[in-house]
Amino acid sequence: MSATIASAEPGTIDLGSSTPVPMGRLAKVELRKALDTRAGRWFTISILALVLVVQLIYAFAAPDDALGYGDFLSVAGGVLGYFMPILIIMLVTSEASQRNGLVTFTLEPRRSRVIVAKFLAGFALSFAVMVLAALIAVLGTLLGIATGAEADWSVDGNLLFNGFVLANVIGVLIGFAIATLLMNTPAAIVGYFAYSLILPIAVGILSSLSSGFADIAPWIEFNTAQTPLFTGDYTPTGEEWAQIAVSGTIWLVIPLALGIARLLRIEFK
Amino acid sequence: MIRVHGLTKTYGAFTAVDDVSFEARPGRVTGFLGPNGAGKTTTMRVMVGLTTATSGEVTIGGHHYRDIPNPGRHVGVLLDASAQHAGRTGREILSIGAATMGLPSSRVDEMLALVSLDEREAKRRLRNYSLGMKQRLGIAHALLGDPSVLILDEPANGLDPAGIRWMRGLLKGYADRGGTVLLSSHLLNEVELIADEMVLIGRGRIVAQGTKESLLAGADHQSTHVTSLDNELLAKVLAERGVAVTAAGQGLRVEAPPVEIGRAAAEHAVVLTDLRAAEGGLEDLFLSLTSDTQRDVLEGSPS
Repeated sequence: MSATIASAEPGTIDLGSSTPVPMGRLAKVELRKALDTRAGRWFTISILALVLVVQLIYAFAAPDDALGYGDFLSVAGGVLGYFMPILIIMLVTSEASQRNGLVTFTLEPRRSRVIVAKFLAGFALSFAVMVLAALIAVLGTLLGIATGAEADWSVDGNLLFNGFVLANVIGVLIGFAIATLLMNTPAAIVGYFAYSLILPIAVGILSSLSSGFADIAPWIEFNTAQTPLFTGDYTPTGEEWAQIAVSGTIWLVIPLALGIARLLRIEFK
Repeated sequence: MIRVHGLTKTYGAFTAVDDVSFEARPGRVTGFLGPNGAGKTTTMRVMVGLTTATSGEVTIGGHHYRDIPNPGRHVGVLLDASAQHAGRTGREILSIGAATMGLPSSRVDEMLALVSLDEREAKRRLRNYSLGMKQRLGIAHALLGDPSVLILDEPANGLDPAGIRWMRGLLKGYADRGGTVLLSSHLLNEVELIADEMVLIGRGRIVAQGTKESLLAGADHQSTHVTSLDNELLAKVLAERGVAVTAAGQGLRVEAPPVEIGRAAAEHAVVLTDLRAAEGGLEDLFLSLTSDTQRDVLEGSPS
């Protein structure tokens, strides 16, 4: 690698032989950054360990007629739903909270490319975690069979797609939205739990007090609207899809758009 | 070659950088000198696109930084050695940089050797690094892509005297091979030791620039240490010429350039045994040029 001092005019940098950092390489680096710290690596391992523990408890606690693979997969999906967004939050907010964004955005000043790389890395990591969780659900099912349940390996396609994959993809996107909006690790995690735990409880209380509110709640509260994805027959009705779209616009699309716009502009200090 | 042209950056009513223009040329180490908060870091952040200028522009090698593909291969940047994930090892930080730039991992070993971080230190996490080690790692990171331009913000901060000497050798060698180096500091001594050229900034404005010699020559104020066989007479004749004279050790400190004192001594046949520009002439210049921007009022500093 020779220094790129140009011959034409002294002090001019010849960019002729320079190529942009390929997106694949950026994404690979982002994936590496998600796992090369104790925080990132152990949080990922902890999510999977927690899935395993919950599977064990479920295998012993659940009634025998609810010990099919689909049940275990649903349980695993529930655990991921709570914690995977935090993985994404850490991936994004560490750039500001750990301040390495200074280097990241100096090596790739076209920030939109870094953001795309973060999405690619975030989704690659999430899908890997989903696949591993689905494998752990196999272990849970085997354990269920060992404790006397009938072997039932059938999986409802809607459960797999809506309840497991889509619900978690939405969770990952929520993680991105909160992370880019706040760009601060502790604040984003608190914000996420306020959104995912406190908000649905508050809505539940209000809904129980007022039937009018119960009717509009799924239109304005995203957690409530998503319930049909992972309960019942895992197939939202047309109205329920509309509720997901409307509340999703409020809680996901708009915040994510604002967050990305913010990330493109903020000064990394 | 770094060219800063009419650069201004305002934050609301506060002007951090005010119409700054200067150049850092290939083959030279340019020191960017100014007190804390003078606008050095903001200027450097604008250079690499982390901060957008309110007006004016910076080009590096004729390009805007944002337009340089894979910029790490052309411009080495160290803005803040602590701005890395505290949980990553030194080696991992360099490996990520090398991977982004598309460099082989052998380059990481080369850079670690260059900045004298040994294998054990490279395996330690950044939070366990001293400031001096962070600076060495930061310089290794800046040099990873074998760039032709280096932009270093306070790189000597935290280095011990031996470390500063090492950095001087490193940067001189780099400039001698045709590289462009811009480094900032709030410490005159560091810049004096390392830089060929200086750009002095105070409260967002360039107050002086040039080589050390040209800056001193252009200074309207200079002190001289003089010792003679008849200090009393010399002091008297100098005082008659309206020059401030104070006793200093064995001799006198005179607020005039050496040539004037030599002339006075010759006229009155006073034998001089020592005549030299007072140490800190540049420091006086620095303080006077930036005096209205200093936070602390210095007793007895020339104004």
